[in-house]
Amino acid sequence: MNASPLPARHSVPTPDLSPDLTQLQQPVEPLTPRCTVQQAGERFREPRHAALLSLPVVERGKVLGCITRHDLLMRVYMHPYGRELHGRRSVATIMNADPVILPVNTPIEAAGKIIGARIRRPITEDFAIVDADGTYRGMGIVLDVLHALETRLGEHSRELERACRHLQSSQNQLIQSEKLATLGQLVAGLAHEINTPLGYVQNNVEMIRPLLQAAAEWVGAAQALMQIGEDAGLAVAEACVERMAEASQAFEPTLFRDIDVLLEDTLHGVTQMADLVGNLKDFSRIDQRRSDDVDLHGVIDAALRIGGHLLRKRQVDVRRHYGELPLVRCAPAQINQVLLNLITNAAQAIDHDKGVIAIRTQALGGYAMIAVHDNGRGIAPDVLPRIFEPFFTTKPTGQGTGLGLSICQQIIHAHGGRIAATSSAQAGTRFVVALPLGGRPPGSPA
Amino acid sequence: MSKPCLLLVDDEARILRSLALLFRTQYEVLTTTDGVEALRWVRERIVHVVVSDQRMPGISGVDLLRQIRDHSPRTMRILLTGFADLEAVEASVNEGEIFRFLEKPWNAALLMQSVAQAAAIACAEFAETGARTVATVASARVLVLDEDPATAALMASILPSETPVTACTNVESALAHLGEADYGVIVAEIRHGSDDVIGALKLLKQASPGTLAIACSSLRDGRILIDLINQGQVFRFLPKPLGRELTRRAVMAGLERHALLRREPIRVRRHAVEAPREISLPGRVMDYFRRIRDQARQRA
Repeated sequence: MNASPLPARHSVPTPDLSPDLTQLQQPVEPLTPRCTVQQAGERFREPRHAALLSLPVVERGKVLGCITRHDLLMRVYMHPYGRELHGRRSVATIMNADPVILPVNTPIEAAGKIIGARIRRPITEDFAIVDADGTYRGMGIVLDVLHALETRLGEHSRELERACRHLQSSQNQLIQSEKLATLGQLVAGLAHEINTPLGYVQNNVEMIRPLLQAAAEWVGAAQALMQIGEDAGLAVAEACVERMAEASQAFEPTLFRDIDVLLEDTLHGVTQMADLVGNLKDFSRIDQRRSDDVDLHGVIDAALRIGGHLLRKRQVDVRRHYGELPLVRCAPAQINQVLLNLITNAAQAIDHDKGVIAIRTQALGGYAMIAVHDNGRGIAPDVLPRIFEPFFTTKPTGQGTGLGLSICQQIIHAHGGRIAATSSAQAGTRFVVALPLGGRPPGSPA
Repeated sequence: MSKPCLLLVDDEARILRSLALLFRTQYEVLTTTDGVEALRWVRERIVHVVVSDQRMPGISGVDLLRQIRDHSPRTMRILLTGFADLEAVEASVNEGEIFRFLEKPWNAALLMQSVAQAAAIACAEFAETGARTVATVASARVLVLDEDPATAALMASILPSETPVTACTNVESALAHLGEADYGVIVAEIRHGSDDVIGALKLLKQASPGTLAIACSSLRDGRILIDLINQGQVFRFLPKPLGRELTRRAVMAGLERHALLRREPIRVRRHAVEAPREISLPGRVMDYFRRIRDQARQRA
């Protein structure tokens, strides 16, 4: 008979495997039908059986019945002459010939139901545990079943909670990816709307510039002619010369050159706007499906351009230490989102004017590593383990959803990669993203 | 010689005004914000080149260009758009068979050059008399460039038995085949480990404009496609996995077009391409191209 320990109260749950009676089984040496009632009473007084309500009566491995403390007390010891009447008789004469017998592989929940139906109040007996073929294995204590059921309930509710959290976070990821898709559509519309005025503004300015040069040329020639007219004192042309002199006052000597500079500036502004729209397009990549072999440095640069306004606002010095990276198979729009999130978080963690964000890349052990390191205020040690939890946020209510990093983690995991953070108040925070160079295309398109 | 006719279609009148001024010295310019009016013009008179926006109320640029193609196949079609999503780019290749895909804000010099090229081609075609007859497909060859043997197997199973299908798995052997015989259609998977298939297709179009290129890929990227339109005059784009009927129709249309090009070499000009940018192919590959080019000259 192998001794099994009592069930651990905090066992690791195995959701796919319902626990049975193995854990509850107590190795109890059974009585034989040849034992007397007297001997059964002595057996009950042994300390090793202190927790048992009943002892099994077994012959050739088969359970014949159980004798309970309660029966012994009520029918033998508390009965006048009970010991004299029953003491020498076989234990079988006063045992319960129909005790609760359960196969060892009965799930705890089922055992609970059977015991609840079979055992009467007050609880006076325990139950016997047998093999699949009915061979006696040991005893089970009713209270243990209750405890085990309680533990199971706790586990169930924790599992439910986990499932619920998982559901919520995938639901939120869905909402986020919906948002992202909507954002892509929005960006496409926006790009189109902005590029249209940019198109004609740029074209118009470009058409005006050569014309303006021709006009400058013309005015110069006219002024020369006017001078000749004045010098020669041609009466015929006097009215004309006067008109020209009048009109000529509008043209300072440097005017045309200055205006051309202004037009050049205008074109520069238009180009800048076009670049900005281009960056937005790169970011949302509505013109692309599925994953691609991507130059991660280009993705980092795109994220830096998008986050540029925040970095400039906080006067953060961005230092890029790019190593050698091969092309990496990934969904660029998603990786873009991750990097933008990390860069934005880094910028927001900096509340002094010597802010530095260092971005390092290298290929290491079959992974492309991207490290984003800021010299900001750092993450408190008690907060650090929780940063990837969905809905966990240190920002005031309404400021952060607490989803950013959990989505980042989900995206990176979907790529078969890893994301981790280290942080201290002195050294700031360092996030490292590792993407497999072999590439595992994400299961679902962005 | 009267000026060629240029039709501009955009829902923003300021774009039309701006473009009209750019072109009015060299072309007879028609402008409209209305797709229906654009179609009426194309039906009623000769329009050499049409430049259309993509996103317009009522009709998309691709739809409009497809209808213009049906009414007046000789009209050269250019799409000028602020931003097109992937579907629009793919449709512009497969349905609009456009000559160029240009983006706003445009580079004036490049736009003028594209329109001038298109106008020259259209003028030559409209000057030809004689109705177009649908060519019967000669037993032109089809070359399949794909690491996946399933693509060539699919071609062999959907094409008529008299159409020989040659399969190869890398750019170099593809070029060797192209140097040895006249191929009507090349079907190429545009993503290969290290091969610059896209570069090769662009060069192929310069060297042998009579070969129709059908690109296929599981990667669907608008930027790459726009490049392939402008510099490779790619005839069709088929997203993978390949559908039997769609693929068959695309290849047959390519073979038909090829037959037409062989009978009327002037049409080859419709497939003129922009000079490709920064293509680096190994020297051996360039040799193949030189050979192809020489052969093409001898054939011409």
